[in-house]
Amino acid sequence: MDALARELKRGSAELMILALLDERERHGYDLARLIGERSQGAISFHVASLYPTLYRLEDKRLIEGRWVEKAGQRRRRYYRLTPSGRQALKAHRSTWEEFFEGLHRVAGIKHA
Amino acid sequence: MPDWTREISNRVEAARHPVDPDILEELAQHAAAIYAAARADGASPAEARAAVDVQIAAWQNEADALRRRPRRPPAPVPPPAESRSWGTGLLQDVRYAARLFRRHAAFSSLVVCTMAAGIAATTVLFSVTYGVLMKPLPWAEADRLVVLAETRGGHRPRFNSFSNAAYLAWQSRAETVEAIAAWAPRVFTLSGSGDPERIRVVAGTASLFPVLRVRPLIGSVFQPKDEAAQDGRVVVLSERLWRERFGADPSVLGRLVELDGQPHLVTGVLHDEAAFPDREARAWVPLRVDPATGNFLSMFEAIARLRDGVTPAQAAAEGAARGRAAPHSPDSDMVVRAIFGGIGPIEVAAEPLRDSLTADVRRPLIVLLVAVGLLFVTATANVASLQLARATTRRREIAIRAALGAGGARVTRQLLLENLVLGLAGGCVGLVITVLLHRWLPSLLPADFPRVSHLALDVPVVAFALAASVLASIAVGLLPAMRARRLDLVQSLSEDGSAPAGVGGRSRVARARLLIMTGQVAIACVLLIGAGLLGRSFLALVSADRGFDPANVLTARVHLPRFAYGDTYRAELVDSLTRRLRDLPGVTAVTYIDGPPLGASGGTAFMIESRQVQAASYTIGPGYFAAMGTRILEGRDFSDQDISDARRVFIVNQAFAHQHLNETAAGQRVRGWVRKGPDPWEIIAIVEDVRHRGLSEPPEPAVYLYRSAESRLAPTAPTFIIRTAGDAASFAPTLRSLVKQQDPTVIVDTVMTMQARLSTSLAQPRLYAVLLGGFAGLALFIAAIGLFGVLSYTVAQRSRELAVRTALGARPADIVRLVLFQGLGVTTAGVAVGLPAAFLVTAAIGRLLYGVGHRDALTFGVAPIVVLTVAALACVAPARRASRIDPLRALKSSP
Repeated sequence: MDALARELKRGSAELMILALLDERERHGYDLARLIGERSQGAISFHVASLYPTLYRLEDKRLIEGRWVEKAGQRRRRYYRLTPSGRQALKAHRSTWEEFFEGLHRVAGIKHA
Repeated sequence: MPDWTREISNRVEAARHPVDPDILEELAQHAAAIYAAARADGASPAEARAAVDVQIAAWQNEADALRRRPRRPPAPVPPPAESRSWGTGLLQDVRYAARLFRRHAAFSSLVVCTMAAGIAATTVLFSVTYGVLMKPLPWAEADRLVVLAETRGGHRPRFNSFSNAAYLAWQSRAETVEAIAAWAPRVFTLSGSGDPERIRVVAGTASLFPVLRVRPLIGSVFQPKDEAAQDGRVVVLSERLWRERFGADPSVLGRLVELDGQPHLVTGVLHDEAAFPDREARAWVPLRVDPATGNFLSMFEAIARLRDGVTPAQAAAEGAARGRAAPHSPDSDMVVRAIFGGIGPIEVAAEPLRDSLTADVRRPLIVLLVAVGLLFVTATANVASLQLARATTRRREIAIRAALGAGGARVTRQLLLENLVLGLAGGCVGLVITVLLHRWLPSLLPADFPRVSHLALDVPVVAFALAASVLASIAVGLLPAMRARRLDLVQSLSEDGSAPAGVGGRSRVARARLLIMTGQVAIACVLLIGAGLLGRSFLALVSADRGFDPANVLTARVHLPRFAYGDTYRAELVDSLTRRLRDLPGVTAVTYIDGPPLGASGGTAFMIESRQVQAASYTIGPGYFAAMGTRILEGRDFSDQDISDARRVFIVNQAFAHQHLNETAAGQRVRGWVRKGPDPWEIIAIVEDVRHRGLSEPPEPAVYLYRSAESRLAPTAPTFIIRTAGDAASFAPTLRSLVKQQDPTVIVDTVMTMQARLSTSLAQPRLYAVLLGGFAGLALFIAAIGLFGVLSYTVAQRSRELAVRTALGARPADIVRLVLFQGLGVTTAGVAVGLPAAFLVTAAIGRLLYGVGHRDALTFGVAPIVVLTVAALACVAPARRASRIDPLRALKSSP
C-alpha cells in the first residue's frame, strides 16, 4: 500500500507540474503557490518534494530550466515544457483519465 | 528582507549533503517569496520567519534529493550478437565503442589524456634517439665509414687523433679500406665581399670527398694536386655560406675569397645535406699531409671507407701493422709523449662513424628512453587498472550480451576494440603534442648535442607512436577481456549491476589491481633512485672544486692571427687592451690565457732528470692566478722581474707535482720542450688544480708559462679574463667597443661570463638530471593516483564490511588503520621489488655519474621514504572516507 501511495503521489506531482507548465513558463514558488490555490488546499502538495521533482523532470528532459533576469528583480529560475514533456503530459493525462474512469465504474468515485 | 542563502546552506549541508550553489539560490528565492507573501498577508516578521523555517526543515529532510544530475547521453545500444559479415560486425563494434566514448566522456578523456601524455613523452624521446643514434648518416653507404684513432701505449689524444706517420704508411697500400682521408677543423677569418667573419672550415685531403662519396652541388671538389699548391689555393663552399654570402650566385665559381688573408679560388659548392663533419662546417680547403721527420709529427682526424665485407677490427689491424712498419726515429719519442701522453708502438682503433659522432650521448639517451618507456608502462598500467575496475561494474552489460548470444570471442573483440579506439585517440593527441614539442627541441637540447639537425617527425617516428598506442591499448584491454571470457552468467545477472559486495581486497579484480599497483610502485622507486643519483651527481658537479672562482668574471677571445698582426704589434695590442680594460671603473682585475678553463688546450713534454713527462701547457698574462681566484699552494707568482731578466721559470699544478715531482717541487729544475732550447727551466710554484677540460674530468698535469718570459710573443688568440665588482655580463658592450677603438679589424668572439661557460658545460648533465627527475616525479604521481584509485575502489567495495565493523564497535581510527595498512602494504611490496631492481639497473648509469657511486646508500635510503610518504598521502582520502561510512546507509544501500 505504501508503495502505491508513493507512486500515486509521485505520478500526480509530475502531472500537476507538467500541466501548470503547459500554460506558460513558471518559477518554483509560483508552481507551489498555484498547486495550493487551485486545489483549494485539498491537495496538500508536499512542497519539499517540489524541487526534487523538478530536477527529476529536468533529468528526464521533460522540462527545462533557465535563469531569467528581469529589470529590478533578482534573477529567477524559470521552467518550461519540452516537446517530450508535452508528449509525457498527454500520456499522463490519458492514464489518469482511464484510472479515474475505472475508479468511477468500480467505486463510484467521480472526477471533475 | 533577510537573505536565506546562508541559513539554508548551513542547515541542509549539516546533513552532509553539499548543495549546488545554483540550487541554493533557487531555494533562497523560494524562501524569500514565502516570507514576502506572509508579510503581505499581515503576518508579523516572526510569524513570516516561522513559515520559512517550516519550509527549510522540509528541504532539510529531502536534502539528498536536492541535486541535479549531470547531463549524460543515454546509454548506447550494444551491437547485435550476429552480424551479416565480419566487416559489418567490426563496424558496429567501432560505432558502439565511439558512442561509449561519448557517454563516459570524463573517463574516456582521462584515459585519452594519460595515453596521450605517455605516448608524446615516449615518442619525443624515441625521435631523438632514432634521429641521433639510428638514422642513417647523410652519406652513401655510410655504415662503411669508420673513424680512425691512433693510440700509443693505450694513450689517445683528445683531439686530432691520427698521425701523419701512420696515415702515410697506410694510405698508399691500403687493402681493407677503399681510401683514407685526413681532416682537421679550423677557424678562419673570411674577408672580401662583406664584413670579415670567423667561419668554421674543414681542412681535408682530396680523398675526403671520394671517401664520403659526396658530389658538389655546382663546380668541382678539389683534387690531390690542390693539396700541395702553395699559390693558387682552392676552397669549396657550403651551400649555406654560398646562399648567405654570395646570394646563391653560380658565378661564384672561379672567384677569389680571402681566408685568414690568403686568397682562395672557389671551385665548388657542397650540399648542406652532405656537409662534413656536420652542417656547422662552412667551407673546405685542402690539407697536405707531410711525411714525419724526427721532431715533426702532425696530427689530424682520419676517416676511411671500409671495403665491402671488411669489419672495423680488420681495418684497425691493418692500420696498426702498416703504422708499425713505418720508419721510426728515436727522436720522436718526446713528441709522441707530448701529444699522446705516453709512448709505445702504434695501435689503431676503427669505430663506425655514427657511433663515434654520438658516443657521448648514446648511453644517456638509451637510459632516458628506457626511463620514459617505464613511465609509459606505469601510465598504461593505471589505465588498465581503471578498465579492470570498470569491467566489474560492466559485468551485467556483458552478461546480458552473452545471454543474448554474443560469443566470448565477440565480446573480447568488442572490449579490445573499445580500448583500441581510446588508445588511438590518445595516440593522435600524443602525436599532436609531439609535433609541438618537436618545434622546441633544438632550443631544449644542449648546444653541443650531436645531429640535432637530423631530428624530424619521419615515418619511423610516427609508426612508433601508432605502434605504441596499439600495443598499449591491447595491453590495457587484455585483462578485462580475459575476465569477460570467464564470466559466470547466472551470478552476474543475479547481482544488481554494481560491484560485488563483501569480497573486499580478496576479489580477483582487487588482487589484479593490487598487483599492478605493486609494479607501478616498483617502477616509481627505480626511476626515483635513478633520478636521485643523477641529481646528486649534478649537484656534485655544480659544487665541485673547480680551482677558480667563476663569479663576476667576463671572458672574451680576441683573434690576432699571425698573418694579420705582427709579433710586436700583437704584444702591444694585448698589453694596451689589458691596461685600458683595467682602467675601467668597476673592473678589479684583467689578465689573459691562451686556453681558458672549459675550453681547448695544448700539450707539451719535458725531461725531468732522465724521465719524459707530458702536461697541458698554458700561456698566461700577469696576475692570472689572483684574477681567477686560483690559489698558489707553494712558491711565488710570476713577477715583472721574470720578464726583464728573461728568467726560464714556470709554474705547475698539483696534479703535475703529484705525478712527476718529489715533495720539494719549487726550485726544481727541468729540461725540455718548454719553449724549445737546451737550457734547464725552474719551477717556481705549485698552484691548485683547475678543471680545464670539463667539470667531470679529473685534473691533468699542467704547466703555466709567463707569456713574456723568453720572447715578446703574445698568444694569437688570448682569452681575456675580466673580473668585475658587479655584474660581469654588463661589461660585454664596453669590451667590444674598446677593442673596436683599439683596432677595428680585430675580431672578438665567445664573449661570455665564466658562469655561462660553466652552465654550458653542465647543459647535458643538467638536461639528463631534469628529464629523469621529471619522469620519476610523474611516475610517482601516477603511482599515487593509482593507489588512490585502488584504495577508493576497495573502500567502496568493502563498505558493507566496514559498516559492519563500525556497527560492531570499531572506532574510526581502527578503520583508518585498516585502509592505511592495505595501502602501505602494497607500497612496501612495490619498494621491496623496486629496490633490488634499481640496485641492478643503476649500474647502467654508473658512467654518467660524478662524485656519487651508482649504489649510493643515501639515494637508496631516501627514495623508499619518499615513495612511502607519497603513498601515505594518497591513502589519506580513502581512509577518511572509510572512517566516515554511515553503517545505516551503507547496510541499507547494499543488496
